[in-house]
Amino acid sequence: MLGAAGHEIARVRRYIGYVPQRRTLDPQFPITVRDAVVMGLYPMLGSFRQPTADDRRRVEAALGAVGLLDSADHVAGHLSGGQQQRLLIARALVQEPRILLLDEPTSAVDVATRSSIVELVRQLHAERGLTTLYVTHDVNEVMPCVDKVLYINRTVRAFGSCAQVLNRETLESLYGSHVVFAEDGGRRYVIVGDSHV
Amino acid sequence: MFDFLQYGFMQRALLSSVIVGTTCSFIGVFVVLRGMAFAGSGLAHAAFGGVALGFLLAINPLFAAVLFCLGTAGLIQVASRKAQLRMDAAIGVFFVFAMALGVLFIGLMRRYDARVYGYLFGNVLGVTAGNLILMAALGLVVVGVIALLYRQFKFLTFDEEMAEASGLPTGALAALLLVLLALTVVVSLKAVGIILVEALLVTPAATAYQLTNRYGMMFVLSWVTGVVSAVLGLVVSYTLGIPSGAAIVIVATVLFALAMLFSPKRRKCKVCGHKSSMDMG
Repeated sequence: MLGAAGHEIARVRRYIGYVPQRRTLDPQFPITVRDAVVMGLYPMLGSFRQPTADDRRRVEAALGAVGLLDSADHVAGHLSGGQQQRLLIARALVQEPRILLLDEPTSAVDVATRSSIVELVRQLHAERGLTTLYVTHDVNEVMPCVDKVLYINRTVRAFGSCAQVLNRETLESLYGSHVVFAEDGGRRYVIVGDSHV
Repeated sequence: MFDFLQYGFMQRALLSSVIVGTTCSFIGVFVVLRGMAFAGSGLAHAAFGGVALGFLLAINPLFAAVLFCLGTAGLIQVASRKAQLRMDAAIGVFFVFAMALGVLFIGLMRRYDARVYGYLFGNVLGVTAGNLILMAALGLVVVGVIALLYRQFKFLTFDEEMAEASGLPTGALAALLLVLLALTVVVSLKAVGIILVEALLVTPAATAYQLTNRYGMMFVLSWVTGVVSAVLGLVVSYTLGIPSGAAIVIVATVLFALAMLFSPKRRKCKVCGHKSSMDMG
């Protein structure tokens, strides 16, 4: 199965900055935040090539972009959940990807941190001209800032602009449940289910 | 003070202490960081089957132990995948099986040979020139592969999912670590023995872990601790006339206790105020 496709994957892999889904980094592993970001360069450096001054500059820039410069010498696994997500985003950025792929980056953090991470992703997306793929279970999290929505439940169920997918009719058929929209401060929220909040 | 070095057996003992201390302390970093302590103990016990087979067939027990340890490592890999078992359960199944074969082989011997039991506790003073060559060759393979794949193993250990996403063959790398562990066990068999090798697989790296928050530095400190334990243990054993394996393990454990007591990690982490990394999940 991976014959030709595997080769293709190897070719495009370096253009994709991947931020994996996770709960926490291993608090026992002896590594600093900066060194963990340097690991994003390993696929390019191979086994032995040392990071160049230019690589180092990119690491500092990535740390700065996610707001972790002050924590660069901390032990990676000691960071808070939100900071760990920022570290993982910095590690993806350091390889200067064209596509940023985030797999539920906010699944392990509280609501306030969640919105600051979404804001960071939105900002990076705009500043760096990235193609950003953001996987989430929470439609409200990304509603104000996405261009296209791809809804998957085993198979592709809907694809289109926010207006095309995130309307009552489509969402009710997707969730099989009653859907209400609420508005607050000019932002729309989807509430699914029969309960009245 | 160093006049004992005029004896051939002491020179060989010293060399083998350095080889064993080095090999064990390098692989030990992964044993500690990846939680492979039971694998180390299991593979060491599996070597017993090989040693017994060696005596039964009158072939070099260390060669037979290499085959047995690699075979057990392979079975553990296959079983944990095919039977969808956690690694520790697969280890539990096969290391006892290998030991049972050892008991069977001893039963099949025409006459009782007490030398088999010498491998349980090892004797660094009894290392022959032939043993030394095999130990050096295997030790070189283990340390060489770890040096070659330094970054790959680091990536695997810190973040397996991400390592896989970036294209590393994580399954093969994890299997390779188990193979290296099996070879390390064989390197140590003659000098510290089946029962005591676990101490050198775990203790030097665990000591290093008390003292640093850097992956690279952990190798350096583990290596220093491992070699100091093995050489100092040998000298203590010679001077006091006590069993060498025991002396080496006691020295290693004392070093660990000191590192634990005086660990900077015991105090609050200076940079981030994190109290201790040891009692965390």
